Amino acid sequence: MKGLKTKNSLVGLLFVSPWIIGFAIFTAFPLLYSLFLSFQKVKITTSGIQTEFIRFENFQYAFVVDAIYTERLTKYLEEMIISVPIIIVFSLIIALLLNQRIKFRGMFRTIFFLPVIIASGPVMKELIDQGITTIPTIEKYAIYQALTESPDGFLNGILLYLIKNLIMILWFSGVQILIFIAALQKMDKQIYEAAKIDGASNWESFWKVTLPSLFPMIIVNTIYTIVMYSMFSLNPIIEHIQTNMFKVDTGFGYASALSWIYFLIIALALALSVGAMTLKGKKNYN
Amino acid sequence: MSAFHGTKMNPSKFHKSQLKFFVFLIPLAVFMALPIVYVFFHAFKPIDELFAYPPRFFVEKPTWQNFADLFGRANASGVPMSRYLFNSIVITLIVVFLTIIISTMAGYALSKKEFKLKKTIFEINTLALMFVPAAVAIPRYLIIDELGLINNFLVHILPLLAMPIGLFLVKQFIDQIPNELIEAAKLDGASDIHIFTKIIIPLVKPAIATIAILSFQLVWNSVESSTLYVNDEGLKTFSFYMSTLTSQATGNVVAGQGMAAAASLIMFVPNLIIFIVLQSQVMNTMAHSGIK
Repeated sequence: MKGLKTKNSLVGLLFVSPWIIGFAIFTAFPLLYSLFLSFQKVKITTSGIQTEFIRFENFQYAFVVDAIYTERLTKYLEEMIISVPIIIVFSLIIALLLNQRIKFRGMFRTIFFLPVIIASGPVMKELIDQGITTIPTIEKYAIYQALTESPDGFLNGILLYLIKNLIMILWFSGVQILIFIAALQKMDKQIYEAAKIDGASNWESFWKVTLPSLFPMIIVNTIYTIVMYSMFSLNPIIEHIQTNMFKVDTGFGYASALSWIYFLIIALALALSVGAMTLKGKKNYN
Repeated sequence: MSAFHGTKMNPSKFHKSQLKFFVFLIPLAVFMALPIVYVFFHAFKPIDELFAYPPRFFVEKPTWQNFADLFGRANASGVPMSRYLFNSIVITLIVVFLTIIISTMAGYALSKKEFKLKKTIFEINTLALMFVPAAVAIPRYLIIDELGLINNFLVHILPLLAMPIGLFLVKQFIDQIPNELIEAAKLDGASDIHIFTKIIIPLVKPAIATIAILSFQLVWNSVESSTLYVNDEGLKTFSFYMSTLTSQATGNVVAGQGMAAAASLIMFVPNLIIFIVLQSQVMNTMAHSGIK
């Protein structure tokens, strides 16, 4: 039996090995190297890269001196807390609607996924420059004016942010919709019939049947959304890191430190949200 | 309410019960489609309409001039545009194909095989998802230099193959395949290669289609490898070419706008085609996969 087990694990390793090699060379090693650099003062000279060990100075600088970084970081966290739940709920609703048998279903699916295709890359940047990611002439609507006149309330701030960025938020939901639809397609129709016979309404069978069985995919989607939201190439924090990479006084060491701080924050946000969801999920559904 | 008309994708008849869905879907769809329509119209605008303020949504005097400029200018800079386009197409095809194979294989092993470090590998992968890609640019450059890949065609391909998000998604899907199915195949004498090609791949087609779309976008839109690792103009990609059109450095910001608009459309259309081809895969396989 032991021989079979070793063979099994060997085959397993064989299947992962191409991935491990690619990952180790082009992702894992550069990551570790940037951790090393984050404790250094890096100077790029004609003869190569010179490093000087400065302990935690880079990290200290980020929090004490660099006001832009901390400011953008808090703004990013605020926006993420608002956006992520909206993206998840929105994509779930759209996925449920698109899972119904309606006319032009294929066309609708294409339209809702399309933004993802252009949301990365140069096309998106151009669209933002043109200002068409916001609702046109929104400033003229009464509701917008009413909100801007009293901008101090917390709720007002959220609403204002939502109105301004609605298209952007909706645009982040394409892949999530796709994942939800794939999961919905896998659901057993018989369960719904059974629930119906037992007298459950559509509303009840959504809460008691659909949602619990979608639960693993909701977690997957939450992780995906947080990651995509943070890694989006036009994200202000990433822009800040990139500009610091080639500044003379800060340089690559500092940029590495910034990325590691950012990384830790994202990891923490993920751990918190997924942890909370799993706990709650276990309580409700098991 | 959803029981009529069997398994057809689009029911052929409109039914009153569908009305409530349309009430939600149509406004949202219009809302989301607007920018895309804009990309199309923008490419055909003559120069005065491109710079009109406030920007106009529809084109009034459509023209092919932007496309003519785009193809014409390329010849003047020494390397024809078709060369960039050819590079991009070859690179994209190879990367998408290999990424799918590598991530599904790894996903299968991490999900259904037992070996040491299995969990650790997947956790490292999830952590790697969260790291700012720009921060690894210089260390990555050093490695690529060390491997002698600077100015090599392979530099566009190799760094993109191990895509963390791909492995993440495909593993989640393979997790949902019941172990009994694989055990049963084993009892019938199926080898690992057999199980992989005849069971795993057909069952996770939706995930594969998703990875294909994601990796396609990643490669097709990537400018990083052309900017950092390649000096030879003839080896650069189309997205790099497009980004040079509007850049300040070349000094043709005004003239470049029209060409950039046309190039955005050319960049965008393959994405559209890929998605339309693959989306039917995503939508239909799961329904008939036989997993309960």
